[in-house]
Amino acid sequence: MLRFFSSVWENFKEYIVLVILLIISLVTMSINQKPAARKIRSIAFGSFAAFTSVISDVVNIGGLKSENASLRKLNAELMLQVNELRKYGIENAELKGLLGLKDTTKLPLIAGTVVSKSLSRSQGTFTLNIGSRQGVKPGMPVIDDLGLVGIVNSTSGDFSIVRTLKNLDLKLTVQDERSQVQGIMKWNGTDLVMIDIPKTYDIEPGDRIETSQLSSIVNIPIPVGTVIGLSKVETGIFNEVRIYPFVDFIKTEHIFVIAIVESKIEDGEQLNFYKRNHLSEINK
Amino acid sequence: MRSEYIWSIVLFFPLLIIQTTIIPLIAIHGVMPDLIMVLLVYYSMRCGQIYGTALGFFYGLLFDLITGSLLGSTMFSKTLAGFIAGYFSNENKRELYFKSYIFLLIVFLCSVIDLVVSAFFSSVDLNTSLVRLLFEQGILPGIYTAVLGIFVIMFYPKRSIS
Repeated sequence: MLRFFSSVWENFKEYIVLVILLIISLVTMSINQKPAARKIRSIAFGSFAAFTSVISDVVNIGGLKSENASLRKLNAELMLQVNELRKYGIENAELKGLLGLKDTTKLPLIAGTVVSKSLSRSQGTFTLNIGSRQGVKPGMPVIDDLGLVGIVNSTSGDFSIVRTLKNLDLKLTVQDERSQVQGIMKWNGTDLVMIDIPKTYDIEPGDRIETSQLSSIVNIPIPVGTVIGLSKVETGIFNEVRIYPFVDFIKTEHIFVIAIVESKIEDGEQLNFYKRNHLSEINK
Repeated sequence: MRSEYIWSIVLFFPLLIIQTTIIPLIAIHGVMPDLIMVLLVYYSMRCGQIYGTALGFFYGLLFDLITGSLLGSTMFSKTLAGFIAGYFSNENKRELYFKSYIFLLIVFLCSVIDLVVSAFFSSVDLNTSLVRLLFEQGILPGIYTAVLGIFVIMFYPKRSIS
């Protein structure tokens, strides 16, 4: 018997090792959301990000001069726009006052920098140089000057990992700014798409897409992208709306974390799973 | 312990830093090369198939842990890539492989397999055309990765120390 196993091992050892390691990989996939796995991960990326941030700083210094020049130009343009908007703001505040509405547009922002990027086709993630010590929590939206970048997925003391919009595991409720049509947006590996939009709904190329108030994760309107076209037009009763994101994920360096984790409760059930996970970890 | 085993682990960390900080800057329309794959193929061919398979598993584990990818997905694809690269670990032909375009072809093959398997495991929309998936997510980044493999051919010692 021993001789049999010995000969099997001798003849097929490469395949046996391969199969065992592949099975371990598959099993690991199923324990992704376990608290122990999350803890090991936060220790691993926290320690590694400390080194990466040094390199990232050096790399970023090179582009600072040209970035400063373009920011000054943008600043001047924005100053003119702000002046214009100020008039509307005053008028808006007066009208809101007459209607008895409260202004709730002030959001707490935490500034940070991207220290490393994993931009695989399906699992786009960023590592930020801000973490739980700065008040960052899983579920917080991340933005830059152009729009929504992603959602914080896990944190360590001084670093955090963000799932970008180009991550298959991130799905958000968004809406067409013009027609207010709502839909689920996801990354399908090649495009950012709004799925299962009935063909009769009013969405046109060029429309701006923003996060929807119905979302249980981000229910404040943050710009996401513009509609570039519809697919699956010929078949079925649903369209797929392709969206071009405002954010350039290759160039993104400086970001802001909006320091809120939305809480949406229906029938006693917490709909924001980031909040749900956080509560269940506290209860444990 | 052979020094090659230690180097294969030590070199992983600086290359991963470069992969996550500098490589995104040289992406062409979102297509990026994979430095880790070049390292994996190199050591799989030098140290044999079993070591290559185990090294792919280890690289994948570290990559998933550090970058926040789905834990297990890169482990799976890199294990497979290491196994395939190990097929070309032939002591008699090793020198020939490392000094010619054959090394680039092996890097390309392993890279394509790694990327395609990884794409499937990340449950990429299967309605997407398979040809498009293979081309955009496999062949293009595979070519880019193989181009980086040229550095191995350039800097490979003309005469083996051993």
